Amino acid sequence: MTTRAITQGEVILEGIVKNYGTFRALKGIDLRIAPGEFFALLGPSGSGKSTTLRVIAGLEVPDAGRMLVDGTEMTFAPPGERNVAMVFQNYALYPHMTLEQNIGFPLKMDGVPKAEIAARVQDAARKVRIDHLLARRPGQLSGGQQQRTALARAIVREPRLFLLDEPLSNLDAQLRLETRIELKRLHASLGVTTIYVTHDQEEAMTIADRMAVFRDGEIMQIGAPAEVFGRPDTLDVAAFIGSPPMNLIPARIEGGEAHFPGWRLALPGAPAGDVVVGVRPGRIRLADDGLPGKLLLSENLGEAMLLNVDVDGTLVKLRLPDVSPIAEGTAVRLAFDGSDILLFDPETRRRLDWPEMESRP
Amino acid sequence: MSSTRRRPATLRRVILTVAAALILFIWAFPVLWAVVVSLKSESEVLAYPPSVIFEPTLRNFRDALTGNLSIASSLMTSIILATATTVLTIILAVPAAYAFARLRLPARQGLGFYTLVTQMIPPVGLVIPYYLILNRVGLLDTYTGMITVYLTFSLPFAIWLMVSYLEDIPREMEEAAYLDKASRLQALWHVILPQIRGGIGVTTVFVFLNAWNEFLFAVQLGGNRIRPVTVAMHNFVSIEQTLWAKLAAAALVAMLPVIVIGILAQRQIVKGLTVGAVKGGGRR
Amino acid sequence: MSSGRAHADRRALAAGERRFAILLVAPALLVLLATTTVPIAFLIWNSFQTINLAMPFLDGFAGLANYRQMSGDPAFWHSLQLTAIYTGSTVVMQLVIGLGLALLVLQIPRGQWLFRIFAILPIVLAPVVVGLFWRTLMFAPNFGMIDFATRALGLGTVNWLGSPTPALVSVIVIHTWQWTPFAFLVLLASLASLPEDLYEAARLDRASAWRRFIHITLPLLRPAIVIVIIMRAMTALSAFAAIYAATGGGPGTATEILNLYAYRISFTQLDFGYGSALAVALLVLTLAVSGFLFRIRTAGSGP
Ligand SMILES: Nc1ncnc2c1ncn2[C@@H]1O[C@H](COP(=O)(O)OP(=O)(O)O)[C@@H](O)[C@H]1O
Ligand SMILES: [Mg+2]
Repeated sequence: MTTRAITQGEVILEGIVKNYGTFRALKGIDLRIAPGEFFALLGPSGSGKSTTLRVIAGLEVPDAGRMLVDGTEMTFAPPGERNVAMVFQNYALYPHMTLEQNIGFPLKMDGVPKAEIAARVQDAARKVRIDHLLARRPGQLSGGQQQRTALARAIVREPRLFLLDEPLSNLDAQLRLETRIELKRLHASLGVTTIYVTHDQEEAMTIADRMAVFRDGEIMQIGAPAEVFGRPDTLDVAAFIGSPPMNLIPARIEGGEAHFPGWRLALPGAPAGDVVVGVRPGRIRLADDGLPGKLLLSENLGEAMLLNVDVDGTLVKLRLPDVSPIAEGTAVRLAFDGSDILLFDPETRRRLDWPEMESRP
Repeated sequence: MSSTRRRPATLRRVILTVAAALILFIWAFPVLWAVVVSLKSESEVLAYPPSVIFEPTLRNFRDALTGNLSIASSLMTSIILATATTVLTIILAVPAAYAFARLRLPARQGLGFYTLVTQMIPPVGLVIPYYLILNRVGLLDTYTGMITVYLTFSLPFAIWLMVSYLEDIPREMEEAAYLDKASRLQALWHVILPQIRGGIGVTTVFVFLNAWNEFLFAVQLGGNRIRPVTVAMHNFVSIEQTLWAKLAAAALVAMLPVIVIGILAQRQIVKGLTVGAVKGGGRR
Repeated sequence: MSSGRAHADRRALAAGERRFAILLVAPALLVLLATTTVPIAFLIWNSFQTINLAMPFLDGFAGLANYRQMSGDPAFWHSLQLTAIYTGSTVVMQLVIGLGLALLVLQIPRGQWLFRIFAILPIVLAPVVVGLFWRTLMFAPNFGMIDFATRALGLGTVNWLGSPTPALVSVIVIHTWQWTPFAFLVLLASLASLPEDLYEAARLDRASAWRRFIHITLPLLRPAIVIVIIMRAMTALSAFAAIYAATGGGPGTATEILNLYAYRISFTQLDFGYGSALAVALLVLTLAVSGFLFRIRTAGSGP
C-alpha cells in the first residue's frame, strides 16, 4: 500500500471566477497541485477557500475559468463523475444510517457487490480505528468518532482526490493535535492527493507539503510552508503568517542604511527610498544600542516572554526566551540583524529583494 | 426566598392550580358530557335537572354501529376518503416541496406564492363551481370527485408544511450524497426521504384529520353513496331531532379516530401547528 | 471557441437540475392548477352569468348584473358586517385568551403536557360535530348545560340559538372555544423558545413583570402573534360547518356570515350566478385581508 506509485491526482485550476449574485467570491484562482501532494488552502474566514474546494468537488460551477484533473477538463462534470471524496466541516454523516451503512454508501451507489462492500468498509474503518462502532448511528458518537467516520467514508472508495474542509475545527484542542498527526500518517500511507482547507496557519504549516494563502477571493502566495513563512511575497501575507505575525516597521533607506527614528541599521546594497521593514518577533532582542521604545505590556507564555513595545507609534512584539519580568512603562531598546529582515514597498505592498539579500542562506 | 414571601407564593399556586383546572375542564367538558349522555337510556336523558348518577348502558353505542341508525357505512366512507386523500397528497406534495426547498426551480418565488394563495381560497368559492362541474361530468357522489376536491385544501397545506421540514436538513447531506455518486433521485430517496419521516408523519396526521373532518364539500358534493361521518352526524340531528343519547354515542364513534390520533400524535400536531409560526412562518 | 463550449456546458448542467426540479413539482402544480385555479376561473366566469337552476330558461350572459345586485342587496351588506364582527371578535378573543393561558401555563412548573393534550381535543374535533355538541349538549333549552346553569343561577331560560343577538354570541363562543387552543399552543411554544438570558438581564435591571412583558416578551412574540392572526383570520373568514350545524345561519339571517350567505343563495335559492359573485367577493376579501396581514408581518421584521 505504501509503495504505490503516485501518478494520478494532478489538479489544475485556471482563472477560476465565482460570483454569488453581484458578489465576486473568487477573483481568478490559478493553482497547480501535483499528484500525491498534501496541499493546504489557508486564509481568513470568508476568503474563498471553501468555494475553491467546492469548485474542485463540482458542487459549484465557476463563472469563468476551467479545471483539469489529470489532464482532463472537469469544469462542468457533475460531482459524482469526478471520483473525489470530501470531508465536510460538519461531517454531513447520514443520521439515519449506521456507520457501516454510512461508510458503505458510496460503494453501494457505485454498484459494488454486497460482500465486497462489507470487506472494504471493515478495512476503511480499521484504518481510522472505528471498526468496533460500525453498528452505531452517528448520533451516538463523539465528535472525534464522527470525524473518523467521515474520513472512512472518504477513503473507502479509493478516490483520486481527497477534499477536506476544516475537518478539525469541530474537535477540541487535544484531539485536534492527535488527528492532525493521524491525517498526515493516513496521507503518507494512501498517497492520494489531498486538498485541505483551514484558517489555522499552524495546522497548515505542520501538515502541508505546499499551501496557498487566500485573501478576499484571491491567492496571495503559493509555496511550501517554510517558504511562505520565511519569505512572504506581500505585506498582507507577512501580516497574516506567524503568531504573532511579523512586525512591520516603517523606515527609510539611504546609503545602504535603514533609518528608524533614533536608530540605524546597516543594509548594504538595499535600494534607497521609503520601505516597511519586516522582522519576526523571535528575531528581536533587547540591547543597549537599538530602536528606542516603551514597554506597554509583557505577556508570560511560560517558556518565553512576549513583550509589546511602543516604537514611535508602531506596536512591536518580540519574543524573549528569558522570562524574568520587566516593569511595564520601562524604556527599552530593540535590536535585530540585517540578515533577519525583509523589506516591503509600502506603495506596491510587494517584497523588495536586492542582490545581497538574495545571497543569504 | 424569605419567609415573608412564602405565603403569597402558596396563594399564587392555589390560584394558578384552580385556574388551570378550570381551563382543562372547559376544554374537555363537551366531550366528557357527551360521554356521560351517551351512556344514558333515552328516558334518563330527558330527566331535568340532568342526572349524573344513573345506570350506564352501552345500547346507544350498539345502535350507532348496527341497526337502522348505524353510521358504520359512513365510517367506512370516511376511512376510504381520508386515507386516499392522504396517500395521494403525500405522494404529490413531498417531491414538490423538495423542489421548492432545495432545487434551482425556475420562477420558484412565483410558484411558491401561487401555492400559498391556493391555500387561502375559501371553500365556498370552490364548492359552487365544483357542484356545476361534477354535475356536468357525472362525478357528483363519487370517490373520484370527492378526492379531487379534497386535494384543493390538503395539497397546498402539505407542500407548505413539508418545505419547512426540508429546509431544516443541511445542504451538505445532498452534496455528500452527490459526491458519493448518488444521482439526484437516489440522493432524494436514500438520504433525504429517511430524514423527513417525522415531517411526513406530521403532514399525514394533519391531512388525515382535515379530510376526516371536512363537511361543506361532503354535504354538497356527496350523496347517498359518499356520505362521510360528518354528514351522517348532521343528518342524524335533522332526522332524529331528540334522540340525544344516540346522537352523543354516534358522534363519539364518529370522532373516535381523530380523538385517538389527537392524543397519540399530540406531539406531532403541536409541532405541525407551530412549525411555521415559531420559525417565522416559513421563508417564502 | 472553448469559451463558447464552456458556456454551453454550464447551461447544460443548470438545465439538468432545472429539469429535475420541474419534474418534481409538475404533478403537484398541475393538480393544483386543475383543482383550484380552473374552478376559480369558472367561478369568476359564472359570476358574470345568470345561472338559476330553478329558472334555467333565464340563463345567459349577465355582465355586471350580479355585482350590481350585490351592491344594492341589504342582505349582502348585513352578511359582510357579520363576517367582520365574527372574524374580528373571534380572532381577538383567541389571541387574548390564548396568550393569557400560555403565560399562565408557563408559570406552572409541572404538568404542561396535560394542557397540551386537552388543548388538542377541540382542535381535532370536526367543526360540524362541535356545532352539534354545543347546539344540543350546551345550548338546548331544557337539556343543555348552559341552560341548566342559567336556570340554576336564577336567570331563567335563555333561548340562546333562537334569538338574534344571543345566537351571534353563541356562534362566536363556539368558534372561540374550538380554536383558542391553537393560539395557545403556538404561543406557548414560542414563549418556551424565547431566550432565557434576556429575562435574566431584565430581572437584574429590576424591570417589573408588566414592563418585561411589554418591552421584551411582546416584541419577541410578534412574528408568532402575526402568524396566529393570519391563520385564525383565514379560518374565521371561511367558517362554515359549526355555524351551519348550530344555527344554520339563523334565526333568520342573524348568524349568516358572507360564507353562509353565498352558500344559501347558491344551494338553497339555486341562484348560482349571484352565489358565484358573492363567493368572488369573499375570495377578494380573504386575499385582501391576508395580503394586508402579510405586509404587516414583513414590515416589522425586516428581510
Ligand atoms: N452560497 C453563497 N451565497 C452567497 N455568498 C456566498 C455563498 N457561499 C459563500 N459565499 C461568500 O463567499 C465568500 C467566500 O466564502 P467561503 O469560500 O465559504 O470562505 P471561507 O471558506 O474562506 O471561509 C464569503 O464572503 C461568503 O460570504
Ligand atoms: Mg469555509
